[in-house]
Amino acid sequence: MTTAHNTPNVQPGELLDDTALFSLEDLARICHVAPGWVSERLEAGLLQADSLGGHWRFASATVVRARRLAQLETTFDADPQLAALTADLIEEVAHLRQRLQHLEAAMGHGPRPG
Amino acid sequence: MEFKDYYQVLGVSKTATADDIKKAYRKLARKYHPDVSKEADAAARMAEVNEANAVLSDPEKREAYDALGRQAPHRPGQDFRPPPNWDAGFEFSDGAGTAGGPDGEFSDFFEQLFGRHARAQRAQSHYREAPRDAEWGGTPQPSRGNDHHARIELDLLDAYQGAERSLTLRGARLDDAGRMVHEQRNLQVKIPKGVREGQLIRLTGQGSPGTGGAPAGDLFLEVQFKPDPRWRAIDRDVYQPVAVAPWEAELGAVIEVHTPAGALEVTVPAHWKSARKLRLKGRGIPAATPGDLYLELSVALPPAHSDAERAAYTAMAKAFPRFDPRATPGA
Repeated sequence: MTTAHNTPNVQPGELLDDTALFSLEDLARICHVAPGWVSERLEAGLLQADSLGGHWRFASATVVRARRLAQLETTFDADPQLAALTADLIEEVAHLRQRLQHLEAAMGHGPRPG
Repeated sequence: MEFKDYYQVLGVSKTATADDIKKAYRKLARKYHPDVSKEADAAARMAEVNEANAVLSDPEKREAYDALGRQAPHRPGQDFRPPPNWDAGFEFSDGAGTAGGPDGEFSDFFEQLFGRHARAQRAQSHYREAPRDAEWGGTPQPSRGNDHHARIELDLLDAYQGAERSLTLRGARLDDAGRMVHEQRNLQVKIPKGVREGQLIRLTGQGSPGTGGAPAGDLFLEVQFKPDPRWRAIDRDVYQPVAVAPWEAELGAVIEVHTPAGALEVTVPAHWKSARKLRLKGRGIPAATPGDLYLELSVALPPAHSDAERAAYTAMAKAFPRFDPRATPGA
């Protein structure tokens, strides 16, 4: 069953930058994990956070990374360290692909197939 | 509603062991996982594979599904209605350990068969802490709606100026009867100035509706910039290639450059050095502490088409008799 509806009014987007940080509980909720899952990965150095007033605070880029870790661990039953290594490689590949696209665009080449 | 052959989806036989199913699932997840897949329909295939795995990796669901197949054999894609009380006599636990992933969505077919268990399953996947959802006639507890996530592509200029974008998002929710309803909606979104690659934009209350009076979830948009030969951003800093003429590079000049921050007059210092960058402080992506704009200068040689143009190059060669462009190793 599919329904469609339009929402014509403009939704204001809130920019979650370095000054709008997530709590540990926020991050756990967004990633559908228990707070203990976040703490364990924080202690293992797989996620980065700042400590403000004795509480952990996470930047929005960490939300993207934490979601990726959770998905990799769940889908592949992956060890957290292995999931983090994979996430590192995914981030590195994305960065290099972006550089490649930029260079190809600058040289007037089309995108590579695939 | 279409019948789904979960064995066919995973590419395993009906006698496949739990290990066979796990291997097949991981192989397909490797192929269709959104972070690694290059397949065009990866998201849809991943959802299908997740669903098949959710049923076949759970002994209770698999047993009921197999029994259904024996009661009412169907081919994949064939119109299907589950027989009344098809699951009578089967006992389902909460389905822990069978979740497809944080964003798992299930088809009408799955929802018709396992819908009332699916809600409990989504609330209790391996790591989840959400309060238990309605189970076997229990009273639903107030529960905040799920957050949604989507990636959007913007132009770098949007980060400088802010923008209004029309987004079409596809999603799914459970209706009051516990059935999955697929939805498509259009959102007009105001993109704030100063957005950076990888940053999240939150649209409060645009996720799934909450239950029992609890608030709706939020929609998080992850920003990516479209590739643009004119410029690229790294964090808040922006890099822009700028070609200069040989005489501008060596003698220095004031040139006009069209940057994301607008047209600017820039002084190119005399005496060209390769890989030279000019930093325009504070002309990167706007923020309380804005980024910088780096102009990456390269020398463009004018093509010599006419006799006069060729003569100019000849005169240049005569003017620099000791110039050896290959004097530098590797040049």
